[in-house]
Amino acid sequence: MELEEMKGLWENMSEELDRQKLLTDKMVVEMTRQKYRDKLGQISLPETVGTIICFAMATYAIFNFEKLDTWYLALCGIISIAFCLVLPILSLKSIDRMKKIDFGKKSYRESLIQYAKEKDRFIKVQKAGYYLGFVFSLAVLPVAGKLMRGKDLLLDAKLWIWYIPLALIFHFLFSKWVWKHYSSIAQGAQNLLKELKD
Amino acid sequence: MIQEHEGIIYKISRVYFDQEEDQKDLYQEIVYQLWKSYDSFDDRSKWSTWMYRVALNTAISFLKRDKSKLKKVSSEGLDNFKMEPFDPVMEERIEWLYKSIQELSVVEKGIILLYLEGKRHDEIASITGFSTTNVGTRISRIKEKLKHQISN
Repeated sequence: MELEEMKGLWENMSEELDRQKLLTDKMVVEMTRQKYRDKLGQISLPETVGTIICFAMATYAIFNFEKLDTWYLALCGIISIAFCLVLPILSLKSIDRMKKIDFGKKSYRESLIQYAKEKDRFIKVQKAGYYLGFVFSLAVLPVAGKLMRGKDLLLDAKLWIWYIPLALIFHFLFSKWVWKHYSSIAQGAQNLLKELKD
Repeated sequence: MIQEHEGIIYKISRVYFDQEEDQKDLYQEIVYQLWKSYDSFDDRSKWSTWMYRVALNTAISFLKRDKSKLKKVSSEGLDNFKMEPFDPVMEERIEWLYKSIQELSVVEKGIILLYLEGKRHDEIASITGFSTTNVGTRISRIKEKLKHQISN
């Protein structure tokens, strides 16, 4: 058989193959599911790392709480501990709810509706984190100062003059960067679901 | 897009492996890699060029990798992997065609596949990364090899 003859045979076979379907919808759904989870993993991984750090900080503050010897330091301590315990859990929970959408079992429309709902919940948690994060950044400094150095930083007026604007700028820029990153991932996951329509 | 071109993936899988189980694994891996890297697909380059490139690279890496570490997509998805049979004469000729190609080296398999797919030398060059002249030389060498195989 010459190469040209082989080419002819190959063409015949290719035409025949084009008529046959090998890739099942099941496989497409399975791959979409994996890619969807991988995508949301890009949010859950940094959030999990953040949660571990927050929990470690909260644990440290709880075990040394008696060192916060004034009412305002104790209040800052309570705000910091509450922020470190509650917000990460809410955030991880909202990501987990998005991850758990089983679009293999639901219809295309149902999956999209549920995703939109869970995404909305996730956005609300992130927004709450944004506003409360600023309060946290103010509350955590005196707590850290007292617990780690034994100093009451709230009495140091000079420190607050530069700390407040710096914390505000850093918090704003960091949140903006995180928000942009998370939004693009959440949109990517939504696009994956939309691709299932075809 | 992938579903439209699944025949190509099937042919690549058959060119690189003679055992059905291996073909199935490679098929799944190619589909998975195409799916995974679809975001990086640059619209400026032709879809089929990109697809051939990813599929052939996957096939070559697949031959080198420890299969136990591969990410399996779904073993259920390819229950009907085998092609619907052609008439017996055609079936035999196709079987022989794949067997002849499987005798070639890894790179030669890729080049002959693209040649049989009707790709021009410059297209093969852009997919494989070889120069157009090099592709021409390699195709001539493959023709010689195949002739030799036939005469034996």
